[in-house]
Amino acid sequence: MKIQKQTDRKHCFKKERRNFLKFAGSVLGILMTSPGCFAETVKTISPQDKPEKLQKAAKMARGAGDIVASSTELDYDSEFAIGEKLALEGFRRYGLPVEDQAIQKYVNLVGNAVARNANRPGIPYHFVLVQSPLYNAFSCPGGIIFISSAMMKSMRDESQLAGVLAHEVSHVGHKHALQSVRGAKFFEGVDKITRVMMKDKQREKAFQEMIRSLQTILFDQGLDKNMEFEADLSGMEAAYRTGYDPAGFINVLSMLQIKKDTAQKSGSWFLTHPPLNVRIEKCRDKMKDYPDARDLARVKRRFLSYQRRL
Amino acid sequence: MNRMIFFILASVLSLSFFTFTEATAEEKIWVSSTNAKLKADHSAASETVTRVAVGSELLVLSFENRWYHVSTVSGKKGWIYRGKVSNHPPDIQEQKKENALGEAFGDLGGSSIRADAADGSRSIRGLSAEAKEYARKSGKLTPSEKALDAVLSSQISNNQIEHFLKAGRIGEYAE
Repeated sequence: MKIQKQTDRKHCFKKERRNFLKFAGSVLGILMTSPGCFAETVKTISPQDKPEKLQKAAKMARGAGDIVASSTELDYDSEFAIGEKLALEGFRRYGLPVEDQAIQKYVNLVGNAVARNANRPGIPYHFVLVQSPLYNAFSCPGGIIFISSAMMKSMRDESQLAGVLAHEVSHVGHKHALQSVRGAKFFEGVDKITRVMMKDKQREKAFQEMIRSLQTILFDQGLDKNMEFEADLSGMEAAYRTGYDPAGFINVLSMLQIKKDTAQKSGSWFLTHPPLNVRIEKCRDKMKDYPDARDLARVKRRFLSYQRRL
Repeated sequence: MNRMIFFILASVLSLSFFTFTEATAEEKIWVSSTNAKLKADHSAASETVTRVAVGSELLVLSFENRWYHVSTVSGKKGWIYRGKVSNHPPDIQEQKKENALGEAFGDLGGSSIRADAADGSRSIRGLSAEAKEYARKSGKLTPSEKALDAVLSSQISNNQIEHFLKAGRIGEYAE
Protein backbone atom coordinates (compact mmCIF):
# COMPACT_ATOMS: atom_id res chain seq x y z
CA MET A 1 0.00 0.00 0.00
CA LYS A 2 2.83 2.35 1.00
CA ILE A 3 4.69 1.46 -2.23
CA GLN A 4 1.54 2.07 -4.20
CA LYS A 5 1.25 5.53 -2.63
CA GLN A 6 4.90 6.29 -3.36
CA THR A 7 4.41 5.12 -6.95
CA ASP A 8 1.33 7.30 -7.24
CA ARG A 9 3.20 10.31 -5.87
CA LYS A 10 6.13 9.65 -8.20
CA HIS A 11 3.72 9.30 -11.08
CA CYS A 12 1.96 12.49 -10.05
CA PHE A 13 5.25 14.38 -9.76
CA LYS A 14 6.34 13.11 -13.18
CA LYS A 15 3.03 14.27 -14.59
CA GLU A 16 3.42 17.70 -12.97
CA ARG A 17 7.01 17.95 -14.19
CA ARG A 18 5.90 17.04 -17.70
CA ASN A 19 3.16 19.68 -17.56
CA PHE A 20 5.62 22.22 -16.21
CA LEU A 21 8.13 21.47 -18.95
CA LYS A 22 5.37 21.73 -21.53
CA PHE A 23 4.36 25.09 -20.05
CA ALA A 24 7.95 26.37 -19.87
CA GLY A 25 8.64 25.13 -23.36
CA SER A 26 5.62 26.94 -24.72
CA VAL A 27 6.61 30.15 -22.96
CA LEU A 28 10.19 29.94 -24.17
CA GLY A 29 8.99 29.05 -27.66
CA ILE A 30 6.87 32.15 -27.85
CA LEU A 31 9.66 34.21 -26.32
CA MET A 32 12.19 33.01 -28.84
CA THR A 33 9.95 33.36 -31.85
CA SER A 34 8.25 36.73 -31.36
CA PRO A 35 9.05 38.46 -28.08
CA GLY A 36 7.83 41.81 -29.30
CA CYS A 37 4.49 40.44 -30.34
CA PHE A 38 4.01 38.61 -27.08
CA ALA A 39 5.07 41.64 -25.10
CA GLU A 40 2.26 43.58 -26.73
CA THR A 41 -0.16 41.02 -25.34
CA VAL A 42 1.11 40.71 -21.82
CA LYS A 43 2.68 44.01 -20.90
CA THR A 44 1.31 45.59 -17.79
CA ILE A 45 0.61 49.27 -17.52
CA SER A 46 1.24 51.74 -14.76
CA PRO A 47 -0.87 54.85 -15.24
CA GLN A 48 1.67 56.78 -13.22
CA ASP A 49 4.29 56.07 -15.81
CA LYS A 50 2.58 55.57 -19.12
CA PRO A 51 -0.18 57.19 -21.15
CA GLU A 52 -1.99 54.01 -22.13
CA LYS A 53 -4.51 54.54 -19.40
CA LEU A 54 -4.87 58.08 -20.60
CA GLN A 55 -6.31 56.57 -23.76
CA LYS A 56 -8.75 54.27 -22.06
CA ALA A 57 -11.62 56.71 -22.40
CA ALA A 58 -10.85 57.21 -26.06
CA LYS A 59 -10.96 53.45 -26.58
CA MET A 60 -14.27 53.29 -24.75
CA ALA A 61 -15.47 56.12 -26.92
CA ARG A 62 -14.64 54.21 -30.06
CA GLY A 63 -16.55 51.22 -28.83
CA ALA A 64 -19.56 53.05 -27.48
CA GLY A 65 -22.09 52.13 -30.09
CA ASP A 66 -20.04 53.41 -33.00
CA ILE A 67 -21.80 56.68 -32.59
CA VAL A 68 -19.36 58.51 -34.80
CA ALA A 69 -19.99 56.40 -37.82
CA SER A 70 -22.46 58.12 -40.08
CA SER A 71 -21.62 61.81 -39.80
CA THR A 72 -17.97 61.36 -40.70
CA GLU A 73 -19.01 61.62 -44.34
CA LEU A 74 -19.98 65.24 -43.92
CA ASP A 75 -17.04 67.50 -44.66
CA TYR A 76 -15.68 69.88 -42.04
CA ASP A 77 -16.83 73.14 -43.65
CA SER A 78 -20.38 71.81 -43.81
CA GLU A 79 -20.22 70.66 -40.21
CA PHE A 80 -18.99 74.09 -39.23
CA ALA A 81 -21.75 75.81 -41.19
CA ILE A 82 -24.34 73.84 -39.21
CA GLY A 83 -22.49 74.86 -36.05
CA GLU A 84 -22.69 78.52 -37.01
CA LYS A 85 -26.42 78.28 -37.51
CA LEU A 86 -26.81 76.79 -34.04
CA ALA A 87 -24.45 79.32 -32.50
CA LEU A 88 -26.66 82.15 -33.73
CA GLU A 89 -29.60 80.53 -31.96
CA GLY A 90 -27.39 80.04 -28.91
CA PHE A 91 -26.76 83.77 -28.67
CA ARG A 92 -30.47 84.47 -29.05
CA ARG A 93 -31.42 82.03 -26.32
CA TYR A 94 -28.66 82.43 -23.81
CA GLY A 95 -27.39 85.95 -24.24
CA LEU A 96 -24.58 87.80 -25.92
CA PRO A 97 -20.86 87.54 -25.14
CA VAL A 98 -19.57 89.13 -21.95
CA GLU A 99 -18.06 92.42 -23.09
CA ASP A 100 -14.59 91.94 -21.74
CA GLN A 101 -11.93 90.95 -24.26
CA ALA A 102 -9.47 89.92 -21.56
CA ILE A 103 -11.79 87.34 -20.05
CA GLN A 104 -12.87 86.09 -23.48
CA LYS A 105 -9.23 85.59 -24.37
CA TYR A 106 -8.63 83.79 -21.08
CA VAL A 107 -11.51 81.35 -21.74
CA ASN A 108 -10.15 80.78 -25.25
CA LEU A 109 -6.67 80.05 -23.93
CA VAL A 110 -7.93 77.48 -21.43
CA GLY A 111 -10.23 75.92 -24.04
CA ASN A 112 -7.66 75.75 -26.79
CA ALA A 113 -5.05 74.35 -24.40
CA VAL A 114 -7.23 71.34 -23.62
CA ALA A 115 -8.50 71.05 -27.21
CA ARG A 116 -4.96 70.42 -28.44
CA ASN A 117 -4.90 67.26 -26.34
CA ALA A 118 -8.47 66.16 -26.92
CA ASN A 119 -9.85 63.51 -29.27
CA ARG A 120 -9.97 65.83 -32.30
CA PRO A 121 -7.06 68.23 -32.07
CA GLY A 122 -6.79 69.16 -35.75
CA ILE A 123 -9.72 71.57 -36.02
CA PRO A 124 -10.02 75.13 -34.72
CA TYR A 125 -12.09 75.78 -31.60
CA HIS A 126 -13.82 79.02 -30.59
CA PHE A 127 -14.97 79.58 -27.02
CA VAL A 128 -17.35 82.26 -25.89
CA LEU A 129 -18.45 83.32 -22.42
CA VAL A 130 -22.04 84.57 -22.58
CA GLN A 131 -23.85 86.72 -20.07
CA SER A 132 -26.46 84.37 -18.66
CA PRO A 133 -27.91 83.49 -15.22
CA LEU A 134 -28.28 79.86 -16.29
CA TYR A 135 -25.73 77.21 -15.41
CA ASN A 136 -24.91 76.06 -18.86
CA ALA A 137 -22.28 75.11 -21.40
CA PHE A 138 -22.80 73.59 -24.82
CA SER A 139 -20.99 72.98 -28.05
CA CYS A 140 -22.00 73.42 -31.67
CA PRO A 141 -20.72 71.13 -34.43
CA GLY A 142 -17.44 72.32 -35.88
CA GLY A 143 -16.12 73.69 -32.58
CA ILE A 144 -18.01 76.78 -31.37
CA ILE A 145 -18.35 76.35 -27.62
CA PHE A 146 -20.47 78.36 -25.20
CA ILE A 147 -20.18 78.71 -21.44
CA SER A 148 -22.41 80.89 -19.30
CA SER A 149 -21.22 83.57 -16.88
CA ALA A 150 -23.22 81.88 -14.09
CA MET A 151 -21.29 78.66 -14.65
CA MET A 152 -17.93 80.40 -14.53
CA LYS A 153 -18.92 82.48 -11.49
CA SER A 154 -19.66 79.31 -9.54
CA MET A 155 -16.27 77.71 -10.22
CA ARG A 156 -13.27 77.77 -7.91
CA ASP A 157 -10.23 77.28 -10.11
CA GLU A 158 -8.93 76.86 -13.66
CA SER A 159 -9.00 73.07 -13.57
CA GLN A 160 -12.80 73.29 -13.20
CA LEU A 161 -13.12 75.58 -16.20
CA ALA A 162 -10.75 73.33 -18.16
CA GLY A 163 -12.86 70.30 -17.23
CA VAL A 164 -16.12 71.79 -18.50
CA LEU A 165 -14.56 73.14 -21.70
CA ALA A 166 -12.85 69.79 -22.32
CA HIS A 167 -16.22 68.06 -21.90
CA GLU A 168 -17.70 70.29 -24.60
CA VAL A 169 -14.66 69.87 -26.86
CA SER A 170 -15.15 66.11 -26.58
CA HIS A 171 -18.73 66.41 -27.81
CA VAL A 172 -17.37 68.16 -30.92
CA GLY A 173 -14.65 65.54 -31.33
CA HIS A 174 -17.12 62.68 -31.18
CA LYS A 175 -19.56 64.59 -33.43
CA HIS A 176 -22.32 63.86 -30.94
CA ALA A 177 -24.74 66.55 -32.10
CA LEU A 178 -24.59 65.44 -35.72
CA GLN A 179 -24.94 61.82 -34.70
CA SER A 180 -28.16 62.74 -32.94
CA VAL A 181 -29.74 63.78 -36.24
CA ARG A 182 -28.00 61.28 -38.49
CA GLY A 183 -31.35 59.95 -39.65
CA ALA A 184 -32.53 63.38 -40.84
CA LYS A 185 -33.77 63.54 -44.42
CA PHE A 186 -31.37 66.37 -45.19
CA PHE A 187 -28.34 64.07 -44.89
CA GLU A 188 -29.55 61.55 -47.49
CA GLY A 189 -26.73 61.42 -50.03
CA VAL A 190 -25.10 64.58 -48.69
CA ASP A 191 -21.39 64.80 -47.91
CA LYS A 192 -20.98 68.53 -48.49
CA ILE A 193 -23.30 71.48 -48.13
CA THR A 194 -23.00 73.87 -51.06
CA ARG A 195 -24.60 77.16 -51.98
CA VAL A 196 -26.08 75.56 -55.11
CA MET A 197 -27.63 72.77 -53.09
CA MET A 198 -29.26 75.23 -50.74
CA LYS A 199 -31.02 76.91 -53.67
CA ASP A 200 -33.15 73.76 -53.99
CA LYS A 201 -36.30 74.50 -51.97
CA GLN A 202 -36.88 70.92 -50.84
CA ARG A 203 -33.28 70.61 -49.70
CA GLU A 204 -33.40 73.97 -47.97
CA LYS A 205 -36.57 72.93 -46.16
CA ALA A 206 -34.95 69.68 -45.06
CA PHE A 207 -31.95 71.68 -43.84
CA GLN A 208 -34.15 73.94 -41.70
CA GLU A 209 -35.93 70.89 -40.26
CA MET A 210 -32.62 69.32 -39.38
CA ILE A 211 -31.45 72.55 -37.71
CA ARG A 212 -34.67 72.73 -35.68
CA SER A 213 -34.15 69.15 -34.52
CA LEU A 214 -30.61 69.98 -33.49
CA GLN A 215 -31.80 73.04 -31.58
CA THR A 216 -34.30 70.93 -29.68
CA ILE A 217 -31.63 68.39 -28.84
CA LEU A 218 -28.92 70.86 -27.83
CA PHE A 219 -31.03 73.46 -26.07
CA ASP A 220 -34.06 71.62 -24.73
CA GLN A 221 -33.86 67.87 -24.39
CA GLY A 222 -30.13 67.21 -24.36
CA LEU A 223 -27.93 64.63 -26.04
CA ASP A 224 -28.18 60.91 -25.41
CA LYS A 225 -26.99 60.12 -21.88
CA ASN A 226 -24.32 57.74 -23.18
CA MET A 227 -22.88 60.57 -25.25
CA GLU A 228 -22.74 62.68 -22.09
CA PHE A 229 -20.95 59.94 -20.18
CA GLU A 230 -18.56 59.54 -23.07
CA ALA A 231 -17.84 63.28 -23.16
CA ASP A 232 -17.35 63.27 -19.37
CA LEU A 233 -14.61 60.67 -19.58
CA SER A 234 -13.00 61.99 -22.76
CA GLY A 235 -13.02 65.48 -21.30
CA MET A 236 -11.32 64.33 -18.10
CA GLU A 237 -8.76 62.62 -20.27
CA ALA A 238 -8.04 65.79 -22.26
CA ALA A 239 -7.73 67.84 -19.06
CA TYR A 240 -5.36 65.27 -17.57
CA ARG A 241 -3.23 65.10 -20.70
CA THR A 242 -2.94 68.87 -20.69
CA GLY A 243 -1.79 68.79 -17.09
CA TYR A 244 -4.93 69.86 -15.19
CA ASP A 245 -6.31 67.90 -12.27
CA PRO A 246 -9.20 65.97 -13.89
CA ALA A 247 -11.05 66.07 -10.56
CA GLY A 248 -11.80 69.71 -11.40
CA PHE A 249 -14.64 68.47 -13.60
CA ILE A 250 -16.08 66.34 -10.80
CA ASN A 251 -15.95 69.37 -8.51
CA VAL A 252 -18.10 71.29 -11.00
CA LEU A 253 -20.63 68.45 -11.10
CA SER A 254 -20.68 68.39 -7.30
CA MET A 255 -21.20 72.16 -7.20
CA LEU A 256 -24.12 71.83 -9.62
CA GLN A 257 -25.63 69.10 -7.50
CA ILE A 258 -25.67 71.46 -4.53
CA LYS A 259 -27.28 74.21 -6.59
CA LYS A 260 -29.80 72.10 -8.47
CA ASP A 261 -32.69 72.67 -6.05
CA THR A 262 -32.52 76.44 -6.28
CA ALA A 263 -31.21 77.01 -9.81
CA GLN A 264 -33.36 77.84 -12.84
CA LYS A 265 -33.76 74.57 -14.71
CA SER A 266 -35.17 75.54 -18.10
CA GLY A 267 -32.47 75.50 -20.76
CA SER A 268 -29.73 74.66 -18.27
CA TRP A 269 -27.35 71.73 -17.76
CA PHE A 270 -29.82 70.32 -15.24
CA LEU A 271 -32.36 69.49 -17.93
CA THR A 272 -30.05 68.70 -20.84
CA HIS A 273 -27.69 66.35 -19.02
CA PRO A 274 -28.12 63.00 -17.20
CA PRO A 275 -28.56 62.90 -13.40
CA LEU A 276 -25.56 64.40 -11.66
CA ASN A 277 -25.14 61.64 -9.10
CA VAL A 278 -24.71 59.03 -11.84
CA ARG A 279 -22.18 61.17 -13.68
CA ILE A 280 -20.23 61.92 -10.52
CA GLU A 281 -20.05 58.23 -9.70
CA LYS A 282 -18.73 57.33 -13.15
CA CYS A 283 -16.19 60.15 -13.11
CA ARG A 284 -14.98 59.21 -9.63
CA ASP A 285 -14.47 55.70 -10.85
CA LYS A 286 -12.38 57.06 -13.72
CA MET A 287 -10.12 58.86 -11.23
CA LYS A 288 -8.56 55.47 -10.46
CA ASP A 289 -6.69 55.90 -13.73
CA TYR A 290 -5.09 59.12 -12.55
CA PRO A 291 -3.09 58.32 -9.42
CA ASP A 292 -0.98 61.47 -9.75
CA ALA A 293 -3.98 63.78 -10.23
CA ARG A 294 -3.35 65.55 -6.93
CA ASP A 295 0.02 66.74 -8.21
CA LEU A 296 -1.50 68.34 -11.29
CA ALA A 297 -2.45 71.97 -11.89
CA ARG A 298 -5.55 73.66 -10.46
CA VAL A 299 -4.43 77.28 -10.96
CA LYS A 300 -6.64 79.05 -8.48
CA ARG A 301 -5.14 82.54 -8.30
CA ARG A 302 -5.15 83.26 -12.04
CA PHE A 303 -8.69 81.93 -12.38
CA LEU A 304 -10.01 84.09 -9.55
CA SER A 305 -8.36 87.19 -11.00
CA TYR A 306 -10.46 86.74 -14.15
CA GLN A 307 -13.58 85.55 -12.36
CA ARG A 308 -13.61 88.78 -10.33
CA ARG A 309 -14.11 90.68 -13.59
CA LEU A 310 -17.56 89.12 -14.06
CA MET B 1 6.22 19.64 -1.30
CA ASN B 2 6.71 18.71 -4.96
CA ARG B 3 3.72 20.79 -5.84
CA MET B 4 5.28 23.72 -4.00
CA ILE B 5 8.56 23.36 -5.89
CA PHE B 6 6.60 23.27 -9.10
CA PHE B 7 4.82 26.53 -8.33
CA ILE B 8 7.99 28.27 -7.15
CA LEU B 9 9.80 27.30 -10.34
CA ALA B 10 6.84 28.37 -12.47
CA SER B 11 6.64 31.72 -10.66
CA VAL B 12 10.37 32.40 -10.99
CA LEU B 13 10.30 31.58 -14.69
CA SER B 14 7.21 33.70 -15.30
CA LEU B 15 8.68 36.63 -13.36
CA SER B 16 11.93 36.54 -15.27
CA PHE B 17 9.99 36.25 -18.49
CA PHE B 18 7.88 39.36 -17.77
CA THR B 19 10.96 41.35 -16.74
CA PHE B 20 12.71 40.30 -19.91
CA THR B 21 9.82 41.25 -22.19
CA GLU B 22 9.30 44.64 -20.47
CA ALA B 23 12.94 45.48 -20.92
CA THR B 24 13.17 44.38 -24.50
CA ALA B 25 9.76 45.30 -25.90
CA GLU B 26 10.15 47.99 -28.50
CA GLU B 27 7.06 49.92 -27.62
CA LYS B 28 5.52 52.18 -30.24
CA ILE B 29 3.52 55.28 -29.44
CA TRP B 30 1.93 57.90 -31.68
CA VAL B 31 1.75 61.67 -31.49
CA SER B 32 -1.86 62.57 -30.69
CA SER B 33 -1.71 66.30 -29.91
CA THR B 34 -1.06 69.29 -32.10
CA ASN B 35 2.06 71.40 -31.61
CA ALA B 36 4.05 68.47 -30.22
CA LYS B 37 7.82 68.84 -30.04
CA LEU B 38 10.74 66.59 -29.28
CA LYS B 39 12.97 68.23 -26.67
CA ALA B 40 16.65 67.65 -26.06
CA ASP B 41 15.96 66.80 -22.41
CA HIS B 42 12.94 65.91 -20.28
CA SER B 43 12.10 69.53 -19.68
CA ALA B 44 9.97 72.03 -21.58
CA ALA B 45 12.78 74.55 -21.17
CA SER B 46 15.27 72.44 -23.11
CA GLU B 47 16.06 72.92 -26.78
CA THR B 48 13.53 71.72 -29.37
CA VAL B 49 14.99 68.91 -31.49
CA THR B 50 12.12 68.78 -33.97
CA ARG B 51 8.38 69.22 -34.27
CA VAL B 52 6.31 66.09 -34.72
CA ALA B 53 2.96 65.97 -36.48
CA VAL B 54 -0.16 64.24 -35.19
CA GLY B 55 0.00 60.58 -36.17
CA SER B 56 3.81 60.37 -36.20
CA GLU B 57 5.08 57.02 -34.97
CA LEU B 58 7.66 57.05 -32.18
CA LEU B 59 9.73 54.27 -30.66
CA VAL B 60 10.02 54.41 -26.87
CA LEU B 61 13.57 54.22 -25.51
CA SER B 62 12.79 55.00 -21.88
CA PHE B 63 10.43 56.88 -19.59
CA GLU B 64 11.26 59.38 -16.87
CA ASN B 65 9.16 61.80 -14.82
CA ARG B 66 6.20 62.05 -17.24
CA TRP B 67 8.46 62.30 -20.29
CA TYR B 68 9.20 59.66 -22.93
CA HIS B 69 12.63 59.34 -24.48
CA VAL B 70 11.81 58.40 -28.06
CA SER B 71 13.19 57.91 -31.52
CA THR B 72 11.38 59.02 -34.68
CA VAL B 73 11.13 56.83 -37.77
CA SER B 74 13.94 58.88 -39.31
CA GLY B 75 16.12 58.21 -36.27
CA LYS B 76 15.91 61.57 -34.47
CA LYS B 77 15.96 61.14 -30.71
CA GLY B 78 14.41 63.36 -28.09
CA TRP B 79 11.95 63.67 -25.20
CA ILE B 80 8.21 64.17 -25.48
CA TYR B 81 5.68 64.94 -22.74
CA ARG B 82 3.29 62.06 -21.97
CA GLY B 83 0.16 64.11 -22.70
CA LYS B 84 1.18 64.51 -26.33
CA VAL B 85 1.19 60.82 -27.21
CA SER B 86 -1.11 57.85 -27.33
CA ASN B 87 -0.62 54.11 -27.49
CA HIS B 88 -2.66 53.78 -30.66
CA PRO B 89 -2.46 55.64 -33.96
CA PRO B 90 -5.09 58.35 -34.46
CA ASP B 91 -7.53 58.28 -37.37
CA ILE B 92 -4.95 59.26 -39.96
CA GLN B 93 -7.30 60.14 -42.82
CA GLU B 94 -9.41 62.41 -40.65
CA GLN B 95 -6.35 63.92 -38.98
CA LYS B 96 -4.52 64.52 -42.25
CA LYS B 97 -7.39 66.52 -43.65
CA GLU B 98 -7.75 68.52 -40.46
CA ASN B 99 -4.02 68.96 -39.93
CA ALA B 100 -3.79 70.42 -43.42
CA LEU B 101 -6.28 73.03 -42.32
CA GLY B 102 -4.20 73.95 -39.30
CA GLU B 103 -0.78 73.75 -40.95
CA ALA B 104 -1.86 76.06 -43.74
CA PHE B 105 -1.97 78.80 -41.15
CA GLY B 106 1.43 78.18 -39.58
CA ASP B 107 1.68 79.04 -35.91
CA LEU B 108 -1.81 80.44 -35.66
CA GLY B 109 -4.00 78.25 -33.50
CA GLY B 110 -7.56 77.26 -34.18
CA SER B 111 -9.41 80.51 -33.80
CA SER B 112 -7.80 82.20 -36.76
CA ILE B 113 -8.56 79.52 -39.29
CA ARG B 114 -12.28 79.66 -39.54
CA ALA B 115 -12.41 83.41 -39.81
CA ASP B 116 -11.22 83.01 -43.39
CA ALA B 117 -12.01 79.42 -44.29
CA ALA B 118 -15.63 79.51 -43.20
CA ASP B 119 -16.67 82.43 -45.32
CA GLY B 120 -18.05 80.23 -48.09
CA SER B 121 -20.20 78.16 -45.80
CA ARG B 122 -21.39 81.15 -43.81
CA SER B 123 -23.68 82.06 -46.64
CA ILE B 124 -25.91 79.27 -45.40
CA ARG B 125 -26.99 81.37 -42.49
CA GLY B 126 -28.57 83.74 -44.97
CA LEU B 127 -25.87 86.24 -45.86
CA SER B 128 -24.06 86.11 -49.16
CA ALA B 129 -20.55 87.56 -49.17
CA GLU B 130 -21.89 90.71 -50.82
CA ALA B 131 -24.85 91.01 -48.47
CA LYS B 132 -22.58 90.45 -45.51
CA GLU B 133 -20.26 93.21 -46.62
CA TYR B 134 -23.21 95.54 -47.10
CA ALA B 135 -24.64 94.59 -43.69
CA ARG B 136 -21.28 95.18 -42.06
CA LYS B 137 -20.94 98.62 -43.62
CA SER B 138 -24.50 99.64 -42.90
CA GLY B 139 -24.49 98.11 -39.42
CA LYS B 140 -27.47 95.89 -40.17
CA LEU B 141 -26.10 92.67 -38.73
CA THR B 142 -28.25 91.32 -35.92
CA PRO B 143 -26.68 91.28 -32.44
CA SER B 144 -26.26 87.50 -32.73
CA GLU B 145 -24.50 87.80 -36.07
CA LYS B 146 -22.23 90.52 -34.73
CA ALA B 147 -21.45 88.34 -31.73
CA LEU B 148 -20.66 85.35 -33.92
CA ASP B 149 -18.42 87.38 -36.21
CA ALA B 150 -16.52 88.69 -33.19
CA VAL B 151 -16.10 85.18 -31.79
CA LEU B 152 -14.87 83.77 -35.09
CA SER B 153 -12.44 86.59 -35.73
CA SER B 154 -10.58 86.13 -32.44
CA GLN B 155 -7.14 84.61 -32.78
CA ILE B 156 -5.17 82.42 -30.40
CA SER B 157 -1.71 81.28 -31.49
CA ASN B 158 0.19 78.23 -30.35
CA ASN B 159 2.80 80.51 -28.84
CA GLN B 160 0.15 82.21 -26.74
CA ILE B 161 -1.03 78.82 -25.48
CA GLU B 162 2.54 77.81 -24.63
CA HIS B 163 3.10 81.03 -22.67
CA PHE B 164 -0.22 80.56 -20.94
CA LEU B 165 0.63 77.01 -19.86
CA LYS B 166 4.07 78.11 -18.76
CA ALA B 167 2.68 80.95 -16.64
CA GLY B 168 0.28 78.52 -14.97
CA ARG B 169 2.96 75.82 -14.56
CA ILE B 170 0.73 73.35 -16.31
CA GLY B 171 1.62 70.02 -17.90
CA GLU B 172 5.14 69.95 -19.27
CA TYR B 173 5.80 73.29 -17.57
CA ALA B 174 4.95 71.95 -14.10
CA GLU B 175 7.81 71.99 -11.61
